This record gives sequence, C-alpha cells and structure tokens, in this order.
Amino acid sequence: MTDHPSRPAIPSEPRQHGVPPRVRARITRYLLALLAFVLIAPLVPYAAAYLGAGNVPNPGAGLWNEVRQRAGPADANTQARGVESAVLINQVGERWRQFRSEMLVPVGAWLLLGTLGFLALFWILRGRIPLEGGRSGQLVPRFSVNQRVVHWFAAILFVFLAVTGLVLLYGRFVLIPILGPEGFSATAAACKEGHNLFGPIFPFAVLAMIVLFLRGNGFNQIDLKWFFRAGGLLKGHPASSGYYNGGQKSWFWMVVLFGIAISISGLILDFGVFGQGREVMALAHVVHGGVAVVFIAASLGHIYIGTVGMEGAFESMSHGYVDANWAREHHDLWLAEMEAAGMVGVEPNALEEVKRHDNIDFKGFGSPGTKAVQG
Amino acid sequence: MARMKFLCDTERCIECNGCVTACKNEHEVPWGINRRRVVTINDGEKGERSLSVACMHCSDAPCMAVCPVDCFFQTADGVVLHDKDICIGCGYCFYACPFGAPQFPTGGVFGSRGKMDKCTFCAGGPGEANSAEQVRKYGRNRLAEGKLPICAEMCATKALLAGDGDVVADIFRQRMAYRGAAGLGTGWGVAYDKGLRKASGLDGKAAGKED
Repeated sequence: MTDHPSRPAIPSEPRQHGVPPRVRARITRYLLALLAFVLIAPLVPYAAAYLGAGNVPNPGAGLWNEVRQRAGPADANTQARGVESAVLINQVGERWRQFRSEMLVPVGAWLLLGTLGFLALFWILRGRIPLEGGRSGQLVPRFSVNQRVVHWFAAILFVFLAVTGLVLLYGRFVLIPILGPEGFSATAAACKEGHNLFGPIFPFAVLAMIVLFLRGNGFNQIDLKWFFRAGGLLKGHPASSGYYNGGQKSWFWMVVLFGIAISISGLILDFGVFGQGREVMALAHVVHGGVAVVFIAASLGHIYIGTVGMEGAFESMSHGYVDANWAREHHDLWLAEMEAAGMVGVEPNALEEVKRHDNIDFKGFGSPGTKAVQG
Repeated sequence: MARMKFLCDTERCIECNGCVTACKNEHEVPWGINRRRVVTINDGEKGERSLSVACMHCSDAPCMAVCPVDCFFQTADGVVLHDKDICIGCGYCFYACPFGAPQFPTGGVFGSRGKMDKCTFCAGGPGEANSAEQVRKYGRNRLAEGKLPICAEMCATKALLAGDGDVVADIFRQRMAYRGAAGLGTGWGVAYDKGLRKASGLDGKAAGKED
C-alpha cells in the first residue's frame, strides 16, 4: 500500500490493547450465540404448537364449530317450523350482502349511468344517423304482425320489470330523499307486488321471442366483417349486412341468454313456497340482479338505435315496413335478396296485404337463411 | 346508557322452550312466526347442547344495511327495531341476517312475504309505547315499563340472559370462573356438582369454596 504524498494517511484501526485475539474471537462467538438464541427463542412455542406439543383444544370449540357449520351441516333440530329454522348461523348472508352492497349497487349504477353517458356522447358527436339517400317511397316488408306483437309485448313487460326492479335496487338512495320514507314505502310495495305479479309472464315473452326471431340469427362471416367495421356507426365506414346485422344478432342472443337466466332465477325468488333455503335464494338473487343490470344497460343501446338514434329504423317495428333506401344503407345484402324475390315496393296499406306478407314471412322472405346470404 | 344484549348459556339451556312460549304468549305472535326458537345440536347424543336464539340486536346490523326501504332503526339502548308501516316484505333482511331472526307471514301474490316480524327485545316499535296500535303490530313494550325481555325472565335455568351487556357479561364471567375454563365442555353436572367437578379435576377458581 502506497500513500499518496498529497493526501493525509488514512488512520488505521485503533489497536485494542490488552485483549488477545483469542479472547476477542470467543466473545464474538458468545455474542453470535446469544443473538441466535434471541432470534430463535420466540419461535419455539410456534414450533411446539406445530408439532402438537401442548395442544389443548378449547372444550367449547366443537360446539361452536358445529354452530358455524365449519365441517358441513350440523346435526341440529328445533321445535320451530320454518325454512332453515334449525340453522343457527346463516352461511351465505354476509357474502350475499357484500355482493349486493359493494358490487351490484355501485357497479350497476356505473354501468347504467355510463351507458346513458355513452349514448348521450354518441348523440352529440354523431347525431341521428340519417337516411343518406332520402326516402325512396318504396317499402320493403320487414317484420310480420306476429313478430311485432311479440316484440312489443316483451318490450312493455321488460320496461315495466326494469323500472320496478331498479326502484327496489336504487330507491333507498334516490327516491327516499324525494318521496320521503312513507311515500317511498308505498311506491316500493307497489313495485314489489307488480314485479312479482308480472314477472312470471316474462318467460313466456322470452319463449315467444325465441320462436319468432330465432330464424336468421345465426352468426356468420359477414358479421365478423361487420364487427370489424364497428357496424358502420362511424361515418364513412359502411358495413355490409344481411337481414340481421352482427349487433342485432348479439342483442337477440343476449335476450335469449339473459332472458332465460333472469326467468329461472326470478321464478325461484318469486315462488318462495317450495321451501328453498337462503343459499338458493341468495344465489338466485345474485344471478337475477347481476344479469338484470347488464340486460337493462344493453337494452338502452337497443332502444336508442331503434328510436331516436337512426332515421327509418322505428317503422320496421311499428308498421312492419322499411324504406328501400334504409334497407340499402343498413341491410344491403337483404335488400338484394328482396329485390330478387320481387318483394320491394309492395303496397302495405291493405290489411289483406299485411296478412299475405305474414304468410310469406314464414316461407322465407327476407330470411338470411337462404344460400345467397349464408354464402 | 345500557347496551342491550342476549346471551344463552349452553351449559344451562335444557330445551324446555319456555322462552319461546313466553314470547308467543306475551306478544300474541301469530302461528308460523318464530320470534325465538331453541335449536338443539347433537340431540340425544354425547355433547348435546341447546341454544335459544332470536334477533341478536347487532351493533352493525346487516338487516339495517340491506333494507331497500330503510325501515330499521336502533334505539339508544342498542335494540334493533323496524317500522312495519315502511316494510314491504321483500325478505332481504332474512337473506342477510346471520341468525335467521326475520320472520314473514304469507301476504302478497303467489304466497309471497307480508311485513316482516322479529324479536323486539320486548321494546315494541315506533310510535307511542304500549299504545293499542304498537301492541298489535309489535307486541308489548316491556322496556318502556322498566322490565326486561319476558323470554329471559321466564327462563327456568337462567340460561338465557337479557339486559345491559356489561351486567350480562359479568354474570357469565362469574359462572365461567366458578366452573373453570374446562367447564365449557363438561355439562351441568361437572359445572355445578362439586363432587363430579373435583373427581374430573376441572376445578375452577371457586372450586375450593365449601358452602
């Protein structure tokens, strides 16, 4: 080691006089042993407990484990006659309450308000989607009278059930401040009875929808292209489509899946007379509430585009005919098919005509099931 | 202010259902409504225990949290009560309650639930204490008369305790100290029979006392 002349020498470690290296080494060893003991000693009871030494169970533990049903249903009985009267501690209540208070209510609110906000934004940015080519005056039959009746039957029922259901879900936060406790109680009671009374009809509406709208709702290659072009919602990106486009098909399958889920869970909740317990009820409620908010949010999009969102769309479900230009702009492949079948420009006024087209409908007019569209 | 609590001593409850009967009688509870019930675990087997259970008047009650019409309220004594004029009988409190306390008469469409009924800790409900209307809807208001719940008053073995949580806890603590910790698992005989207790070697603090 060489010291640089300009730097002061680094002071070496002060020498410890009087303590021989052997003693120092021994002291170090003792200190290390003490340190190890201090670190390990607290772990001894845990290790002992782990190995089973001194494991004295609380004599009451067995009873309370049975009360809490830690190892499955307890061997319990009672003189009280009621649903689950012999169950001391409800196993699902806390989880159900957490789902409802911390998931369903806030997430549902964000989903519904977010959807409304998105639609409002879309309205501001895009406005009403117009008929670019104006009205041709030529009409094309689109939905039969049976389809329209079933659609409006399901739609009115859906809106009624959605509103009454949302009152029960959000009324405590939104309506009590407006109506007061008594006023809201009367409203909520009416909503509950109405929901329970008309709810069981909804499965029939779903069933009728499946029967009358299933045809032509199978997905195909055209829908994939349609989805990639965002359904032509953005200006200058027209998307080709047959009788139903990808969005309409998605909505149909949502109606089918959500409708079945909401019907089964709703019937379980509504008819509580079969002695179903809280576990089944809570699960049914989770499915019912969770599906309902998604269903309602999706329906807002459907209602928007079917009414104010697009020129010429509503009439297909009101009097059953659409303008040929509307068909050209939104369902070009279907229009080509209809033109080939000579179904464009028919007179819709006479009742006989409507009946005639109803008959034709089932023979395949406008059906995307024909080879021309499927290919 | 007192903080009202129920406590059921499993070493003392003999499943006589005296509490249930007293409750039904005091409040004229309709058929099918069980404000209080006695549940027996391992009936007829070794380790049989009975527990009398009703609304436990939770500090942070799940029923209050989940009620869609916000019909519950808690008195200054910590008793959880509800307003039957507001209740719509949706049953959510029954799903949420850990103890199965809320009860429902069948009242609505398809045999659906009517307005909920549950243990009131003998404290009635909203409105004037022991008015005809309050008694009809909620039963007698014994707390307003300076009395404690009838179920605990009628308990023959004093297994069921009701009252201020501190007092109830003191009584139970004395019992536990007397029995010794192991008394929890050994039943009435060992808990209160000196001979048996000494023989089993489960003496508690009070075990040495001869009286």
